[in-house]
Amino acid sequence: MSKKQVLARIGQIILVLLGISFITFALIMLAPGDPVRQMIAGNQDIMVTQAEIDALRHELGLDKPFIFQYLSWLGNTLQGDLGFSYMRKKPVFDVLMDHLPATLILAVASSVFMMVFAVPLGIFSAVHRNGPVDYFIRGLTFIGVSVPNFWMGLMLLWIFGLKLGILPIVGGRVSFDTLILPMTTLGVVMASKYTRQVRATVLEELSQDYVVGARARGMSESHILWREVLPNAMLPLITLFGLSLGSLLGGASVVEMVFSWPGLGLTAVQSITYRDFQLVQGIVLWIALMYMVINLVVDLSYNYLDPRLRKVGK
Amino acid sequence: MKKIVKTTAAAAMIGLLALAVAGCGGGGGDKKPAAKDTLKFGMTNFDDSLEPTENYFGWSVMRYGLGECLVKFDKQMKSTPWLAENWKVSDDKLTWTFKIRDNAVYSNGNKVTGEAAKKSIERTFAKAARAKAMFEYESITSDGQNVIIKTKVPVATLPGMLGDPLFIIIDTSVTDRDYAKQGPICTGPYMVKSYSKEKTSMEANPHYWDGAVPFKNLELNAINDTNTRAMALQSGEIDAAVNIASGDLQLFQDKKKFYISEIASLRDVLARTNLREGKPLSDLRVRQALVSSLDRETYAKVLLKGTFIAGGPYLPPSVDYGFDEIKKLDQNQYNVERAKKLLEEAGWKDTNGDGILDKDGQNLELDFVYYSGRAELPLYAEATQADAAKVGFKINLKNVDYNVIDGMGQRGEYDLMISNILTLQAGDPEVFINQYVRSNIDGSNPQNGSGYSNPKFDALGDELIKEFDPAKRRALVIEMEKIILEDIPNFVFGYPQTNMVSNLSITGAEIQPCDYYWITKDIKPAGAK
Repeated sequence: MSKKQVLARIGQIILVLLGISFITFALIMLAPGDPVRQMIAGNQDIMVTQAEIDALRHELGLDKPFIFQYLSWLGNTLQGDLGFSYMRKKPVFDVLMDHLPATLILAVASSVFMMVFAVPLGIFSAVHRNGPVDYFIRGLTFIGVSVPNFWMGLMLLWIFGLKLGILPIVGGRVSFDTLILPMTTLGVVMASKYTRQVRATVLEELSQDYVVGARARGMSESHILWREVLPNAMLPLITLFGLSLGSLLGGASVVEMVFSWPGLGLTAVQSITYRDFQLVQGIVLWIALMYMVINLVVDLSYNYLDPRLRKVGK
Repeated sequence: MKKIVKTTAAAAMIGLLALAVAGCGGGGGDKKPAAKDTLKFGMTNFDDSLEPTENYFGWSVMRYGLGECLVKFDKQMKSTPWLAENWKVSDDKLTWTFKIRDNAVYSNGNKVTGEAAKKSIERTFAKAARAKAMFEYESITSDGQNVIIKTKVPVATLPGMLGDPLFIIIDTSVTDRDYAKQGPICTGPYMVKSYSKEKTSMEANPHYWDGAVPFKNLELNAINDTNTRAMALQSGEIDAAVNIASGDLQLFQDKKKFYISEIASLRDVLARTNLREGKPLSDLRVRQALVSSLDRETYAKVLLKGTFIAGGPYLPPSVDYGFDEIKKLDQNQYNVERAKKLLEEAGWKDTNGDGILDKDGQNLELDFVYYSGRAELPLYAEATQADAAKVGFKINLKNVDYNVIDGMGQRGEYDLMISNILTLQAGDPEVFINQYVRSNIDGSNPQNGSGYSNPKFDALGDELIKEFDPAKRRALVIEMEKIILEDIPNFVFGYPQTNMVSNLSITGAEIQPCDYYWITKDIKPAGAK
C-alpha cells in the first residue's frame, strides 16, 4: 500500500465517521418516544413530571432544531470535546477512559486465549483430517460455536466459582483472578470459530500445487507445514481476527453483565436505554474508529506478510 | 508429521495447564468467609456518582447507609421522624417547622443544626430542577435546631417530600470533596472509603448519632446479573443481596442457611382500559366481564411463582390505604359464569359460531398493548389472551417499545394497556391516583387518554390536594380507590414482591417496601445485640 493509498484510506475513515455520527444522532433523536423523558426515567417506570422534562430539554439544548444540535455537537467534537454524559454526569471522554482499560485487557486476553488454542488445534485437526482426533476437535468446536456466551459464562461461574470455589464470582474489579472466566468465555467461543477456520485454510493450502512440488523436492513435512503452508494460511485469518478484535474493543456487554466486568459494553447498552445521546455518540465513534483503524492495520500488514501485494503497491 | 503432531499437542497442553494453574492460584483470596467486622452486600447499580442532587443518585447515597433525611418512611410508607424529631404546620398551612434532633451529627463530628439543614435544602434547590417540581418555597429560615420552610401554596405532602433521597441532609460547609467520587459528608451509619460504580468500600461512621454501628467495614458489590448475584450469595462471597430473581429464590429456602425477607413493593402491574366512544370497553358490563374472566390469583401463584400478589385495590397491600377493606368490595373477582352473563346482558352474542362474541356486526376484539422490558408483562398479556377467549373476547397482543407507551396512552391508542408503575411518590399516592383517572378536561390531565371522567372522583381529588390531616387524606384516597374499583377505568393485575436474602452470619436484613433503605444500622453480625 503506497503512502497515497494510506492517506486516501484515512480520508475515507474521516468521511465514514462523519456519516456514522450523523446517522447515530438522527436515530437517537427520531426514535419513538421522548428522549428527554427516557433520559430521566431510563426503564425504571418512574413518574416524571412535565416540568422536569421541560427543564432538562432546555438545559441540554434539545429544544433547538435537530440540525443545530448536531452541528453544535460536531463543532465541539472537532475541538476535542466529546460532550457530557447526562446519565453519568461526567464528560464522555472520562467515561470512555474509565472503561477502556478493562475492555482492552479483556479483548487482548481473550484474543491471546483464542490464538493459544485455535492455531495448534486447527493445524492438528487439519493434519489429522477425518481421523478420530479431528472429529473430536470439530465436535468440541461445534459446541463452542453453538453455546450462547451468557450460558457458558454462567456454567463457568457455577463450576469454578460455586462448586470448586477456586475463582471469585463477584467481579467488579480488573485483576488476574476476575479476568480468567470472562476471558475464557469469550476465548472459547472465538477459539471454536477460529479452530475451524484454521483447519479449513490449512487444508486448502495443503492441497495446493506448491505443496505437492515441495514434497516432490524432498522437503520435510514440518518444513512444508510451518514455513510454506502456515504463512499462506494465516493471511485470510488476519482479516477475520481484525474484525473480531474490533468487535471486542467495543465491549462484550453480555459477558460484562454476567461477570460484573467494568468494560465498555454494558455502558454502551445502558447509554442507549437512557438515550444518553452524547455518550452513545462517543461510544459509537470509538467502535467505528476501532473497526476502521484495525482494518487499515490489517491491510497494511498484508504489505509485509504478502510480497505480491508489496509489488502491486509500488 | 509425527513431530508436528507432538508439537501442536504439546502447545495445546501447555495452554491448558497454564490456564489451570492460573485458575488455581487466582481466586483463593476471595473465598474466605466474610470477617465478622465486614458486611458484604450484593445489589444492582447503574449509577456512577454519589452526588445526591443529580439524577436519582441520591437513592444510592441512602441505600448505602451514607445519607439520611429529615423524614423517613415506615413499613406502611407513613412519614416518621429521622433527623427531624418532629414537625408542625402553621394554621394557614404555609409554614412548616422541622425540629432537628439535638444529638444529630455529621460523620465529621459537626452538629446538624437548623442552619445546616437549611443550607442543605437550599443547595438541593439550587442544583436540582426536580426539587422545584416537587414544591416551591417562599423562604427557608433557621432558628436554633429548627428549620422553617414557608411554601408559596399549601403543600400537604411536604414532610414526605423531604423524605425523598433528593433531600438528604449534607454538611455544606465541607467544600473540598469530590461529591461524585467521595460522596458528601452525611449523617448515616457508614462513610465512603472508596467508590466506583462496580464496587464501593465503606467504613463505620465514628460519630453516628443513632447508636453503635454494627460493622467496621461495608463492601457493596454491584452484581447486575441476577443469576450471578444468587451464586455469589450461595457461595458465601456476599452475606446479603437484594432482589433475588423469582426462579432463584428456591435456592435459599433452607432456613438453616438463609433468611428471606419478602414484601409487596410499592408497584402495581396496572392495566388501563380505553373507555372512548365506540370502544368495546366503554360499556361497564364489558369491563366487568373482562376482569371477571381473569384468574389473577393463579397468575400470581403459578405463572409468577408466588413472586406477585394477586391484584385488586388500586394501591398495594404494603401501604396503609384500606387494602383488605377494599378487596372485600371487589365484585369482579374470577368468575367465568358471571363474565359470560354480563356480556350477554350487554348484547354480545356469538352469532357465527366462531367462538368470538359479536354485536352489530363487530367482533368483541381488544388490542392489548404491552412491553417486554419487564418479564411479567408478556406473561400477563398471554394469560389474558387465553382466559378472556374462554368468555368470547378476542385479544390482539401488541408488543411495543417501552418508550412509546406514554404517547400511546395519551392518544388512547389501545383497548387495554399494561405497565409496571410506582404508586407512591414521597410516600403519598396523590399523584399516582390522579394520574390516569382524573378527568382530562381541555388537556388538563393529558395522561388520562382513556376518556374516563367522573366528577365525584375529581371532587375527591380536589379535596385531597387541600387536605392536611393524614387520617382524612387516607379516607379520601380510600374513597377514590372504591370509585376506581367500581368504574374500572383501570384495574390491577398484581403487585410485585421485593426481597432481600441473607445468610445466617448476619441478622436484621429486612427489605422495606420503600426502595430507599437497604443498608441500615439494624443489619448486624449474628449474635450481636
